[in-house]
Amino acid sequence: MATSAAPRGAQTGNACAIRDLTVVYRVEGKEYPAVREVDLDVVAGEITAVIGESGSGKTTLAMAMLNAVQPPGRIASGSIEYPEVGDVLTLHGRALQRVRGDYVSMVFQTSQNSLNPLTRIGAQVMDLARSHGHRDKRAVLKEAAALCRQMSLDPDRVLTAYQHELSGGMRQRVGIMLALVLGPRLVLLDEPTTALDVLSQSEVLQILRDLQRERQFSALLITHDMGVVAELADRVAVMYAGRVVERGRTPLVLTNPQHPYTRSLIQSIPRLTGDLDEVRPLPGLPPSLTTIPRQGCVFRDRCRYHPAIADTQEPAMQSTEPDHWFACHLGGKLDD
Amino acid sequence: MGYNARRGPTGSLEVAAVRGFLFRVARRLVAALVMIWAVATFTFFLIRLMPGDPVLAKMVELEQTGMPEEQAKAQVSSMYGFIPHDPLPVQYVHYLWQLCHFDLGVSIAYSGQPVTTIIWSALPYTLGLVLTGIIVTFIFGVIGGVFAAIKRDSWIGGSLSIVGSILHGVPQFMVAVLLVYFLAALHPIFPIGAPYDITISPGLNLHFLSNVAWHAVLPIAAFVISGFGFWALAMKGSVVTTLGDDFILASELRGIKPSIRFRYIARNAFLPLFTYLAIAIGYSFGGAIFIEKIFDYPGLGNLLNNSLASYDYPVMQAAFLMITVAVIISNIVAEVLYTFIDPRIRTGIS
Repeated sequence: MATSAAPRGAQTGNACAIRDLTVVYRVEGKEYPAVREVDLDVVAGEITAVIGESGSGKTTLAMAMLNAVQPPGRIASGSIEYPEVGDVLTLHGRALQRVRGDYVSMVFQTSQNSLNPLTRIGAQVMDLARSHGHRDKRAVLKEAAALCRQMSLDPDRVLTAYQHELSGGMRQRVGIMLALVLGPRLVLLDEPTTALDVLSQSEVLQILRDLQRERQFSALLITHDMGVVAELADRVAVMYAGRVVERGRTPLVLTNPQHPYTRSLIQSIPRLTGDLDEVRPLPGLPPSLTTIPRQGCVFRDRCRYHPAIADTQEPAMQSTEPDHWFACHLGGKLDD
Repeated sequence: MGYNARRGPTGSLEVAAVRGFLFRVARRLVAALVMIWAVATFTFFLIRLMPGDPVLAKMVELEQTGMPEEQAKAQVSSMYGFIPHDPLPVQYVHYLWQLCHFDLGVSIAYSGQPVTTIIWSALPYTLGLVLTGIIVTFIFGVIGGVFAAIKRDSWIGGSLSIVGSILHGVPQFMVAVLLVYFLAALHPIFPIGAPYDITISPGLNLHFLSNVAWHAVLPIAAFVISGFGFWALAMKGSVVTTLGDDFILASELRGIKPSIRFRYIARNAFLPLFTYLAIAIGYSFGGAIFIEKIFDYPGLGNLLNNSLASYDYPVMQAAFLMITVAVIISNIVAEVLYTFIDPRIRTGIS
């Protein structure tokens, strides 16, 4: 690979195929699933969003995609296939280190703290190039400078700066630069705008959209913000208590939600031009890791419908239209 | 491209940084002079509050040989460089005036010897002891601490931490006494009581230097054994904290290779220890007072002990002052070095 940073052009197929993924955490000697039997594809060249409340397993899912689930967590079963790479869960050591950054990279929620405070940004780019066996480090540095310019950062200033000399929004953009500089096929965006002020948020979203269009990388966008999903994502997967409860093309899911949870999420957003009384908050709290029901529907306790069958049987994934799947006993017949 | 990723931009920013750096060093030096003056003043008055009067004793001794009082007074004054029984403020001003000319007066116990000569002959031994002790302790402690942090889940890491805690709890003079008892008295493996064999003539040759080093083994060992625990525990804590930092996990997830990641961890974990180093050097000069006494090693600490016993005010003052100056200088050096290893301080001037 020379610089591997040029746009790869439109890709077809999946950039990532997750099958039957279960990740468990050990709490007081017992293992509880934080992600359970998840199937998910990231379609090449598209942005797939994963939306859910805190504790729904979204970040655990992203960590699993880097095969980096931290103890006391453990990947209990499943596979995560990348084309040309294979199942990332079977990799370790040097091979795993190479895949991280080269094939799949991550933009962190806390990008403010994701940089080495004692090393200049440019030197950290070089460390990245060296770690991935790039002979031509100047080319990587040039690519970093180009990315900076694209995000309206002055590369001469940013690459020679230390982390503490940059603002929060600038650091987030540096985080994006570091994630893209090696030209990965898949980028994991872990709540990339959560830690930013509102102005920086919209800037970063704009930047991500532009970069994705130009470079055609595939992305998994983790967020709890429906607005971000609507703005950026081609597809969306809704997670609740470690399970994907609904997934499909973003317009389909947002305009015609089939799962009561998705519907509640959308109804709980206040409209800028609407009546505040129309906003319906979702009552109750999501279960914590140790209180997720082991059988039946995980959402039933907060469900307005709560059919009797949900207490014992887990709903299977079903579909009423192409590119739109959900797991609910009611089969999409929600009367309101 | 107009920049160098390792060195940073050149030009006005760098000039401003250098100017700011020099300004801060200058400010530290002024503060140091004020501190030295304060300590000099404090010790001057403190020492004179002690009971007993060696000058009066000397005068009485001379008068008993039949010397008239006036003559005895004149002789004592020429011996010690000051008129005894002048009012304190006059003595104080006189002392400061001499100090400004690097004149520390004349010893009382070693009649007539200038204090500067005595100090200069003792200072190298203490400096050698303290600096070697600190460096060796630091190296062992840091390595032990890194090891204890990385292996913290195994028995090796656990026992390293326990050993560190125990050593940290044992007082320095205890270690020194045990070393003397076992390795010098019971089994006379190491020599004590002199900085080098009497049969060897001092000079800058390997034979003499190795002999000096051999004689310094036990006192330095006392420093190392009693100091190791602190450094090991501090370094362990620092490494564990750094390992939990977000950017270390981030660098792993970005696919930074282990050798580079180790460098990230080491440098970041090392920084806080550097602050302790300056403080530890100060403590070590204090510790030298006990250690030199126990090993009868002719450094500043021993000098201070002896001068206390013989009411040798000028030497006492000078020894206190030297220890103070050493602590202040080591603090300044540590701060200057710190600006080189931590960019947040280097550039945080504007």
